[in-house]
Amino acid sequence: MSDRVILDNVSRFYGEVLGVNRVTLSVPPGITSLVGPNGSGKTTLMNLIMGLVRPTRGDIRVLGISPTDPERLFRLCGYATQFDSFPRGMTGFQFISSYLRLSGMSHADCQRTTAFAIGRVNLGEAAHRKIAGYSKGMRQRIKLAQAIAHNPRVLVLDEPLNGLDPLVRSETIALFREFAAEGRHVIVSSHILHEVDTISDQVILMSNGYVVAEGQIRGVREEMSEHPMQVIIRCTRANLLASRVFEQENVVEVRLHADGGGLLVKTRDADRFYKALNHLALDGIGIESVAPADDNVNSLYEYLIGGEDR
Amino acid sequence: MRQWLSQIGLVVRLEMRKTFFSKRGIWVYLLALAPVLIFLGHSLSEISNRNERRAMNAAHPVSTEALRAIARGLSIEEVVEKVGEPFQKLEFHRPRNSFDIYRYTDGESVYVFAFQNNRLENIDRRDRDTIPKDALIFAGVFQFFYLRLAIFFGCVGVFTNLFRGEMLDKSLHFYLLTPVRREVLAVGKYLAGLVATVVIFCGSTFLQMAALSLHFEGNEIAEYLSSGGWGHVASYIGVTAAACVGYGGIFLAAGLLFKNPIIPAAIVLVWENLNLFLPAALKKVSVIFYLQSLSPVIPPTDAGMSTIQKLLVTAAEPVRPVWAVVGLLTVTILVLAVAARKARKLEINYSTD
Repeated sequence: MSDRVILDNVSRFYGEVLGVNRVTLSVPPGITSLVGPNGSGKTTLMNLIMGLVRPTRGDIRVLGISPTDPERLFRLCGYATQFDSFPRGMTGFQFISSYLRLSGMSHADCQRTTAFAIGRVNLGEAAHRKIAGYSKGMRQRIKLAQAIAHNPRVLVLDEPLNGLDPLVRSETIALFREFAAEGRHVIVSSHILHEVDTISDQVILMSNGYVVAEGQIRGVREEMSEHPMQVIIRCTRANLLASRVFEQENVVEVRLHADGGGLLVKTRDADRFYKALNHLALDGIGIESVAPADDNVNSLYEYLIGGEDR
Repeated sequence: MRQWLSQIGLVVRLEMRKTFFSKRGIWVYLLALAPVLIFLGHSLSEISNRNERRAMNAAHPVSTEALRAIARGLSIEEVVEKVGEPFQKLEFHRPRNSFDIYRYTDGESVYVFAFQNNRLENIDRRDRDTIPKDALIFAGVFQFFYLRLAIFFGCVGVFTNLFRGEMLDKSLHFYLLTPVRREVLAVGKYLAGLVATVVIFCGSTFLQMAALSLHFEGNEIAEYLSSGGWGHVASYIGVTAAACVGYGGIFLAAGLLFKNPIIPAAIVLVWENLNLFLPAALKKVSVIFYLQSLSPVIPPTDAGMSTIQKLLVTAAEPVRPVWAVVGLLTVTILVLAVAARKARKLEINYSTD
């Protein structure tokens, strides 16, 4: 059995609208990030790999298995989609165990496996609450728990870090690393390059349905180092956070939001900045959300894609 | 195969809660319960009338034989001499004519004697409902309303939602990300819908018959049941289940093939009701053709009915029950095969669904 996820000249059109075009990839085990702005074809590519949509042209094999064979594919694969909707009326535990039973596990194994998966994403206390009452971050984590519950060899995650607070974000990244260290595939998508560059073994950059670059991240990071990144933070005590953040060497600019409930930070080293932010969060400043600014991502893409042309 | 069966069972269990307790499905229960309420109302009204007749008979006792011996041409005095004073008397006097209405009851039937100028001109006997009479009423409601509307639209609601409802909720992909063949999923969902509709509509059929028989005496019911009544009960429940099997398959496929289930529902409704006018070969590609052949009682086609009503209740060329069952199952399996094929190629694209 092949140990790669292979796409051979895959195209997908929605009528006359391009989803992805002529994508040829051979993804090895490890963490692979699919990065591109909104509408670049990341989700279509993931849906193609997992058989939720069919290619108009080309062939896909996941560890040698066709996505049209769900009986074999989903014993080896787990997929957390970006759809933020769940079957009505279910608790987190019921949600995972119900679908897990379909893989043929006994009731007892299913209960044990579900509890373990929920524990891995630190949702134990909320496991028996209705998903409808979960926060965005909790919903992201329960989807992740469902994707990993059957211990898949290929884990595909669409924007898995969206809506997670810094602490949970770092725990989730640690989980990806754990999976990758065991020789599994972890394919994650993000429209924020900084979000995934530190964890990825390789990056696939997408734009307008095409793969514009792929390979190891080092080269890309070197190019990015001169390009400051903008981060939007919503928090309590924004003045205090602004003064603390500005003490960081990597921060080049801080702007307070007009409502006093947040700030915009420009940094030259996102890794260091996020680490420092985690410490600040522990010092009593309530951080509600952290999100890189989209405009900056788009400009980064223009920069990177333009760089290819140079 | 064993694994598929086990997965079908699990899908049925997962779907059961959604089909039975979905807020969207409340109207299905209302459709199923409507005839129960109608028959219950009828029975309660009959019970009330019977009690009234018995009370009148106690106040003005008269035997059935005496009332039946009254013949036209008798005078009021002669009638009163034979059967006593009526429980209700109405008089109308005109310059040249006088009209008198005398109402009697033996506790079971009401006799209305109409006198003109002191001569008995007309006798109208209104018997209480009998089981054979109510059986014909039931057959009419069953064919006109229950099969063609209640079960039909109930199945539209339940079966089209099995896939389409989850697409609207954006939760169908969770099934498609499990190691389950799409065809197995389609069969599991169909069976879940079938269990729900059979329980709801067969339960309603039974309750309708129970409600309708409420006003009969125990011995009358026992006699009816022992002389073929159980066969009728079983047949009606069987026809109800068969309707769920047939319409369920069609609307499961419709939910997969069409974004808006109202369009296929309207097309099927027209097709089913045009059945009588179709050529022989096409008649067999419908559900109602087989259901009419299986129905135990053909509703009466009396003079008051319109031509269309008569056509609707008249089976074109009834086939033997065994062939009706085989034909219905064949149509259903063919439609389910189309649904399974569509499920196999199903794509998740919620934004356009």
